[in-house]
Amino acid sequence: MFEIATRRRPYVLLAIALLFQILLLAVQIKRPDGARLIRVWAVEMLTPAERAGAWLLDRAGGAWSGYIGLVRANRENQRLRDEVGQLTLRNSELESRAAEAQRLSAMLEFRDAHPDAPLLAARVIGADAGAGRAVYLNRGQHDGVQPNMAVITPEGAVGKVLEVYSTTAQVLLLTDKSSGAGALLAASRAQAAAKGTGEPLLLLDFVSNDQEVAPGERVLTSGMDRIFPKDLPLGTVVDVRPGSDFKQIRVRPAARLDQLEEVFVVLSKKTWEWEVGQPGTPKAQVSSAGASRRGGTVPPQTVPGPPKPASAPAPAPAKDQP
Amino acid sequence: MNPAEIAENASAPPLMIRGVVEPRLEVHKFRSGAVVGSCFVALVLQAFVPAKVWKGDLVGDLLELPLLVTLYFGLSRRNPARGLLLGMVVGMLQDGLCGASGANPIGLFGIAKTLVGYLASTIGARLDVEHPASRIVLAFAFFHFHRLCYVLTNRWLLAQSIPWMNGKLLAASLVTALLAWPLFALLDKLRRNED
Repeated sequence: MFEIATRRRPYVLLAIALLFQILLLAVQIKRPDGARLIRVWAVEMLTPAERAGAWLLDRAGGAWSGYIGLVRANRENQRLRDEVGQLTLRNSELESRAAEAQRLSAMLEFRDAHPDAPLLAARVIGADAGAGRAVYLNRGQHDGVQPNMAVITPEGAVGKVLEVYSTTAQVLLLTDKSSGAGALLAASRAQAAAKGTGEPLLLLDFVSNDQEVAPGERVLTSGMDRIFPKDLPLGTVVDVRPGSDFKQIRVRPAARLDQLEEVFVVLSKKTWEWEVGQPGTPKAQVSSAGASRRGGTVPPQTVPGPPKPASAPAPAPAKDQP
Repeated sequence: MNPAEIAENASAPPLMIRGVVEPRLEVHKFRSGAVVGSCFVALVLQAFVPAKVWKGDLVGDLLELPLLVTLYFGLSRRNPARGLLLGMVVGMLQDGLCGASGANPIGLFGIAKTLVGYLASTIGARLDVEHPASRIVLAFAFFHFHRLCYVLTNRWLLAQSIPWMNGKLLAASLVTALLAWPLFALLDKLRRNED
């Protein structure tokens, strides 16, 4: 058989013989770095196969890990969605707290600016289910709150206490139809009466047609109602129209009555004066120890300089009596 | 049909191969032990003469008795398989003898003489190599073919740049070619007489 193979395939035998001797040489020969040639050849021959195998394994592993990664990514996505929802909620909560902190800071600053004013901080805990022009505070009789006490914010007047309960109190907002406050124009010091209309704007009444009033003019409390401190911001003139006897002036309240959260209740029935144009400055002064809503007239020294116009309105409290 | 088959059919009438009529070629057979003995003597002389008789590299470089023995039996027996195997064995033994002095790793002469044995057997199956002139020419050509294989193998595997041809090698090739004439005639005496 060997004879047949060698006769028919001598070149095969030649190739085998040469290969054998080449391998024999490769075993003997050493490279300058000490590595035998057979080892170098083996490495060079096997390295591409190993690289191909490693490449295939990497690809297969990558595909598998990609599939697993997709499954995990789906779970991770769901978990992250939940987390985003929670964080959004948390963010809203923190924003609310930050806004509350800002409001409280402003109130604290207002209170520090009026150290002598008997202010009781209260939180709005509810609104009137009916017309929505009244709110409820978390302060009541136990905290010294009494009917007809003024309710204010650092921005301006809010309303007056209407009903008092043991731990809560109902506040009638300025915008209620039955509400009102003594007012005066900041520029001319002209007396007027602010009335609620059941709408967001107030109506400033009893301003004569010959009185110069411009939109944007500030309106302050006059203190004539014996409820609100004098010169507390009440609002800003929005538009002015001449009327039959008096101008028809609409005023936007200074306090954001639709966004009330924390307010001050002015516990004292004394008459207070806020400096015009600087509602936040500590210029509150006790002008009369005995002046109260029940006490009747305001002492002369509590009324500022400008003469009272002939058409000065009567104080609003008479109308606000619950 | 390969050259070996042609050689085996040498006793038959002339063969028609691709339209060419080849002459009848005789496959020579030798007395028992003649091939082994001749190779052994050639190897011993190759190693002994340069070392003990004429000391120096010149004689060793000029003398290539293993090449001549491989060439002769390849040409005479006309069997490529046997020729390449004989060349491989003789070459590796020569490498072994040279390797004793640290010259060659085993396989350098082996590869060269394997190719010489194969090529000589192939040529011997096609040509008449009995004429002294053809023997001298073949010895001269195969010396350089052997040298070329040796140089290429050296350069490829050992990265050694050794010359393929120079004056000394040309002289060696001429000496070897001339030596082939009496040596081949002497080896002809070892043939078995079929008649």
